Amino acid sequence: MSSVAVIRDEAGLVERLRGGDEAAFETLVESYYGMMLSVAQSYVKTRAVAEEVLQDAWLAVLQGLDRFEGRSSLKTWIISIVINIAKTRGAREARTVPFSSMAPEGEEPAVEPERFRGAGDGFPGHWWAYPANWSERPEEVILGRETLGVVTEAIEQLPDAQRVVITMRDIAGCSAEEVCETLELTEGNQRVLLHRARSRVRAALERHLDAA
Amino acid sequence: MPHSPLHITCQEVVELVSDYLEQALPADEAAVFEQHLNFCDGCALYVDQVRKTIDAVGELRAEDVPEETKARLLTAFRDWRRG
Amino acid sequence: MNAYKFLRPDGTGVFSGFHWPLPVGVPGAWVRSDVDPCRSGIHACRPRHLPLWIGRSLYEIELDGEIVDDAMKVVASQGRLLRRVDAWDEQAYDDYTRMCADRAHELARARALESWEAVIEPSVPEGGALLGFVAARIAEVIDGEDGYRRERASQAEWLVERLGLTP
Repeated sequence: MSSVAVIRDEAGLVERLRGGDEAAFETLVESYYGMMLSVAQSYVKTRAVAEEVLQDAWLAVLQGLDRFEGRSSLKTWIISIVINIAKTRGAREARTVPFSSMAPEGEEPAVEPERFRGAGDGFPGHWWAYPANWSERPEEVILGRETLGVVTEAIEQLPDAQRVVITMRDIAGCSAEEVCETLELTEGNQRVLLHRARSRVRAALERHLDAA
Repeated sequence: MPHSPLHITCQEVVELVSDYLEQALPADEAAVFEQHLNFCDGCALYVDQVRKTIDAVGELRAEDVPEETKARLLTAFRDWRRG
Repeated sequence: MNAYKFLRPDGTGVFSGFHWPLPVGVPGAWVRSDVDPCRSGIHACRPRHLPLWIGRSLYEIELDGEIVDDAMKVVASQGRLLRRVDAWDEQAYDDYTRMCADRAHELARARALESWEAVIEPSVPEGGALLGFVAARIAEVIDGEDGYRRERASQAEWLVERLGLTP
């Protein structure tokens, strides 16, 4: 995986795109493809279908580009397009995120309760054993290929609503407001979904790193 | 919460970490949260793990676009500009 | 007004990581920030807050501008470090830790709180911040919130006396 620069001057990029600048279009594709794929995969069954969704989405982006007013960020606008197309596609395949139930449901402790001292113990609610010190591990391990593979899989396993929120926030770098608007979530629900998603990914990373 | 707690437990801390990093905790909750982190090495390590998790997730941002896909999209772009 | 501030041994803020201009014979430079308790602002301790924020290095800090007293700290729009409190050295830190551990034992034994006793000595190596909390927490088990606050108040008194601080 390459590390691509975040697009800072979206307005400038849009101008160049309207002017037919192919290099600008390549930059756009390279910068946003991964995040678009991840969002699409929160709504449809397979990667192959997700790629088809992206194909349609890019066409819709091009068709809408002349009318794009910049009221939302380009990135958020593109993500909305992906979601709309993916939803339609997902509905046809009888697999959607039911939008009324995007709201987080039930209880989901971030860490198993057994890892904390109980009511009858001294210091109830505190760790029995401390979590491992990940700062002692070389950065190449935490951000290396194998670990990122574990993270990718953990995200793929997330419930759909958690997956799309963590994708938009922590992969795509959208703001909380942008996510709430795009997904029609309250601030509180967005925070709960993000918290649960991050907790699950951390737990997956922990299982992997502790086994190493 | 009905009133400001004097302290919170580790079990409560792990439920608040994401909100703390978002700066979404109310002032009095953030105060007990930081106070807890000041004396509890275990939770300081946990918060560090969550930060590193977020960093790792952030690294997933760029996936290489398959050449064939890029070529197809470029064609679509040219068609659009011509049309 | 003057207050106190714990920093990491390298002079950075415990939560902010901010590199404070350290006093070297003369006060450090003024640092300014908007006040929004717990989000931004210069954080400092009145003497009664010290046990809550025990750290390795202690400084006296002058605060100015907008100053807001919070339950657990004081927040200001500007501050500058006046001097390092040299009396807060390794020995003082260890003595404070030991004092809190002894108090925790005393309280736990008085009420036969064996499950808490088992926590105390293994926790000592982690230092004064933790043991201070353990002692106050045991006091709370015995005497509720008042017990907790009283224990914290005596910890603060111990520090003020030992370090020769302005109460």
